[in-house]
Amino acid sequence: MFYDLNVQWVQNENELQRTLSFLAELGYNVVALNYTLSGKLPSEITCPIPDPLPFPTPPTLRILRRCTLLTTSPSQNHRLGDLTRTHDLVALRPTDEATLLQACTSLLDCALISLDLTQRFAFPFKHRSLGAAIERGVKFEICYSPGILANDATARRNLISNATQLVRATRGRGLVISSEAGRALGCRAPWDVVNLAAMWGLGRERGREAVTGVARHAVVSAQLKRTSYRGVVDVVEGGVQPERGGKAKEKGKQAGNKRKLEQSEEHGGKKKLGTEEASKGGDKMKKKNGELQNATTVAATEDLTMRPD
Amino acid sequence: MARIKHRYLLVSILYPQGSNAVKASTEKQNAIPESIKFREPTPDGLTLELIKPMIKRGVAELFGDYGVGMTLGSLKVIYFSPATSTIIIRVARAHYQLVWAALTYTTQLPRPVNQPCVFQVVRVSGTIRKAEEEVIRRAREEMRHAQKETGEDTNDVNLGVLGFKADPRTGRTRILDGVDEALEIEDDDADMVDEDDDEYGSDD
Repeated sequence: MFYDLNVQWVQNENELQRTLSFLAELGYNVVALNYTLSGKLPSEITCPIPDPLPFPTPPTLRILRRCTLLTTSPSQNHRLGDLTRTHDLVALRPTDEATLLQACTSLLDCALISLDLTQRFAFPFKHRSLGAAIERGVKFEICYSPGILANDATARRNLISNATQLVRATRGRGLVISSEAGRALGCRAPWDVVNLAAMWGLGRERGREAVTGVARHAVVSAQLKRTSYRGVVDVVEGGVQPERGGKAKEKGKQAGNKRKLEQSEEHGGKKKLGTEEASKGGDKMKKKNGELQNATTVAATEDLTMRPD
Repeated sequence: MARIKHRYLLVSILYPQGSNAVKASTEKQNAIPESIKFREPTPDGLTLELIKPMIKRGVAELFGDYGVGMTLGSLKVIYFSPATSTIIIRVARAHYQLVWAALTYTTQLPRPVNQPCVFQVVRVSGTIRKAEEEVIRRAREEMRHAQKETGEDTNDVNLGVLGFKADPRTGRTRILDGVDEALEIEDDDADMVDEDDDEYGSDD
């Protein structure tokens, strides 16, 4: 499963359709259509990207809706809660050191921090603040397409320089690589992207994670925050189990177990996991909630879980 | 006996914008199966001789004289098929990533053609034989996909059109020109060392 979490949403339907089918051809499975919000937010936030899209899309491609919010001053009222309710993914694009620090430490509801890497930043990235963000489960995004399509060498140089700085400051953890392509020409195949990541000093393995595992984590935890019970447990369609003798009543049991689970959580105890823990990764949760497995499939273990119930 | 170690990059050229011929009529565009929409034949203007300078220029742009110097020794375009838009490039094993990155940064075909395109490295292989097998496998698969979508019968005879034909004695499909000669040379010294063929994700 390869992820491209930033494909610019353009009004031109032909162009967008072409881009999407090209991405499917290159081997991507999940794509997020992105648009940018800046300045003062409108009073009522709705996602302008139609659902479903007005043209046929490749059957292998899952399409998400994402919003990138440009933050220019720390005092701005972001109302991220409203954004997360209407979008699959919410990203922040800080413009200076103060807003970057704010995005890293205090703004809870964003899934990604996506810096404009074609600019030159006047400040170095600090491991302390970036590490705090990664600790909370927020990912950093590197967009490669502006560097590829740029006509001047400056943008390309800045992109490479900033990408290596990000890799250094994050110690290679919590990085997502996506295209930010407005047209099909700016997209590259996943393995080509992995090679680019290797050139930026991220290493082959980490580079691969950046287009698969880490990106997936961002998507699943954003989904989990929206739909689940307290950001911890999500009841999903876990697929059809093969018939085993005497398990016909399973469905009734499921509902009962769910209730039990919720109760036990309210009473505290071991099973109570905070949102932060939820964002730390599905495997851990899977172990902790192991005994609840047949009743509720804990989210972030299978791709199936990403379907809303 | 020590052998100079190479990597063989199997590259396919994709045309995200579509060619001029297809653009001319939108009706025709709709009839083309989804899976080969971006895999068009390369324009006639592009020849084998033009590819190596293009790669060299790309490497020079990204990595400067150092990059060119490191890769020039073994850089060679072994095979190019305009019909399937496939290239096999031989590069030095230690520095194949430079060439790969340069290809990733390339956005159009060289000078006289100037068509926007995307180079996708589909396989990194340690021997030329594996690269060749992959070419054939991919061409077959594409044919099958396309025929499935248009509802035609699958027939391997069509591969002959693309420049492949089966060896009547061994039954093995071989690419017609270029690769065969290179393969024979490769075979001679391949016996002496272990075959170090691998897919992506391998480190040296």
